[in-house]
Amino acid sequence: MSKWNCFYKRIKHEKQTLNITLSMVKLLHLGWCICTPSHYKDIGDSLVEKVEILKPIDLELACTWTGNPNKLPNITGYWRKDGSEITNSRLTVQLENEQYNLKRVFRITGDTLGNYSCIFSDTDEAKIDFNKKDKPIVAYVGDSVAMACKTKLPPNTWLWYRANGTEQELINATTDPLRYKISVDGNTTKLTVMNLTAEDSGVYVCSAIYNIKASVSRVEVRVITFMEPLKPFIAIVAEVIILVLLILLYERWSSQRSSHSPTGNNIHTALTREGNNGMDENTTTRQRKI
Amino acid sequence: MSPAPASILRDTPPDGGWGWAVVFGAFISIGFSYAFPKALTVFFKDIQLIFGASYSQIAWISSIMLAAMYAGGPISSILVNRYGSRPVVIAGGVMCGIGMVTASFGNTITHLYICVGVVGGFGLSFNLQPSVTIIGKYFQVKRPLANGLAMAGSPVFLCTLAPINQFLFNQFGWRGSFFILGALLLNCCVAGSLMRPICPKPTGGQLTQTNGTPKKPTTHRFNKFLDLSLFKHRGFLIYIVGNAVMFFGFFAPVVFLAPYALSHGFDEYSSAFLLSIMGFVDMFARPLTGLMANTKWIRPRIQYFFSFAIIYNGLCHLLCPLASGYGGLAAYSVFFGIAFGMVCALLFETLMDLVGPQRFSSAVGLATIIECCPVLLGPPIGGALVDTFGDYKYLYLMCGAVMVFAGLFLFVMNIYNYRMLERERRQEEGQVEEGCESQEQDQEQGLGLRERGETSSEEQGEGDESEAEETKLSHA
Repeated sequence: MSKWNCFYKRIKHEKQTLNITLSMVKLLHLGWCICTPSHYKDIGDSLVEKVEILKPIDLELACTWTGNPNKLPNITGYWRKDGSEITNSRLTVQLENEQYNLKRVFRITGDTLGNYSCIFSDTDEAKIDFNKKDKPIVAYVGDSVAMACKTKLPPNTWLWYRANGTEQELINATTDPLRYKISVDGNTTKLTVMNLTAEDSGVYVCSAIYNIKASVSRVEVRVITFMEPLKPFIAIVAEVIILVLLILLYERWSSQRSSHSPTGNNIHTALTREGNNGMDENTTTRQRKI
Repeated sequence: MSPAPASILRDTPPDGGWGWAVVFGAFISIGFSYAFPKALTVFFKDIQLIFGASYSQIAWISSIMLAAMYAGGPISSILVNRYGSRPVVIAGGVMCGIGMVTASFGNTITHLYICVGVVGGFGLSFNLQPSVTIIGKYFQVKRPLANGLAMAGSPVFLCTLAPINQFLFNQFGWRGSFFILGALLLNCCVAGSLMRPICPKPTGGQLTQTNGTPKKPTTHRFNKFLDLSLFKHRGFLIYIVGNAVMFFGFFAPVVFLAPYALSHGFDEYSSAFLLSIMGFVDMFARPLTGLMANTKWIRPRIQYFFSFAIIYNGLCHLLCPLASGYGGLAAYSVFFGIAFGMVCALLFETLMDLVGPQRFSSAVGLATIIECCPVLLGPPIGGALVDTFGDYKYLYLMCGAVMVFAGLFLFVMNIYNYRMLERERRQEEGQVEEGCESQEQDQEQGLGLRERGETSSEEQGEGDESEAEETKLSHA
């Protein structure tokens, strides 16, 4: 009979490339035994420990990370099973004794066997949404335009830039209060540009600054003059006037025609009065119906 | 109620010919009236951002517009009674156009409330009522079909205005879009110009009542503008009560269809697609309902058909919570689209059937201002239900129950009404049906108006010689 290690093993293994130490596999449920020969299997950068169990147990897995050079007080840690994130497993991990510790208890049954991994994440997805996706915002000369950015987690600060080709120029609302107004409300920010001119067309960038990195999103603003909508406007008004005139002229013509050839079976009376809307149509003959 | 016997003493409605052009004009007007307030929501996000307002403040724009559209009913009726449909629709188109153009220069939300909401809303009411009225003048035999076709304007315009609005917004921003929409609304004037006047307004409409008591000059002079004696009309009262109850539960399911689908976990586009399904089905349901209502089996019992449509609507809502999965919701949308279209197609036809085309313009004005309240309160009450219970199920149960109740009420009361009409008709054997007071007046007008022509015009004291002359000559 080979020697079995029951209960737990404390494993410490350090690699240069990845300073993650799988510290403990601790047995919580009394009466059961993890009986396993221990294997270390290195798959590239990750450390995989294979644990075999005989019966369903509650297993606590713990991870320790010594962190990267700029040690932040809080980072996010979460667990993955078979490569996909376990829901509601994200936790904020504090820096304690120069390391981050992440622990979680898993109920391992026949159904939940698999590959469990712990991940320390630098930033949550800083997805920024603009109101419109990839379509330029249209605004008018002399008018103002507003753009908003929203993220899931409130960042430390928001910054707005004006992009000129590859360069970015910071927008400072305090130096130019008549033109720019920046408001911040938790995880939303709004930039209002007033007194627009044609030069204000271009790309605007909002950037959410987090502890670890910043996330940006861009929107294009197009400034046009009132001449642009005026053209379709005039076209439509012209169409309306032409149609109205055509219809009224047709009416007058058909009533004149029927007045010249009255038939006993005329199914519509030839009244063409306009009422009091100011148009004086000549009243043609009225049909007498017996 | 059987269709009015074609009296040889008055012009029979053409039932065709230019009537179809009028139906097209009504199609355009009705389309703008119902679809425009809903299609405006495309712009709300951007306006909300730039004015720094909350969503509910912006949503008031649509609500005010809808409220003005319904509340403007009586004013619209008075004007139609006085001047006929055409000038009113043209004026309405101009008002809408001016409202939207001035709105595009606005800088505050109040400015939008007034220009889009009030001015635009009243302009739309000047489009809606006259359009429905003039159909009654041009059609008698084919009237349900004409009504169904005209009412189909609403879903067609909604389906076209929504993408047009989105396109305009992407090209021109909200200001330019409002500017151009002002021009588009002027097309209502084109619709109005199609509405050639026919069968001039009766002048002494309420000179003698069927029970023979002559009216006092002041009241009958007012009734010439807006027929308040309708409140004594049994059919009209039944219609008003039943419809007022029905409207509480009518629009809320439409408003909450997309959020309901979202709450089930479907994405935005799938949820919006449900509304498109509904609108598409609605487009065809309305003319088909009109066609069905025109058949000789249904036309005499069209009030029952209307009640059935309302009950069917209610049943759809009651069964909705049972729908599971996207297929279930899509099936619900199809059935709901059919039901919605049926009710809308018959909405004005049944009123015309009850009060007759002559009094219809007043009737529709009074009906819309009374319906204004439940139409506006329905969705917010539904929203409150959703917020309180956290579940859309109760909203659908409430709407379904309200509509089934309204349908049953109308059904029962119309059994009673038909019976009373039958009895009155038998009592007045040899004369026209008394229940349809307007028809009796038409008869009287045909019979006696030539003699009464001059006296009636003097009695009115309006001094509108041209109107009296018109009456005199055309009824000769």
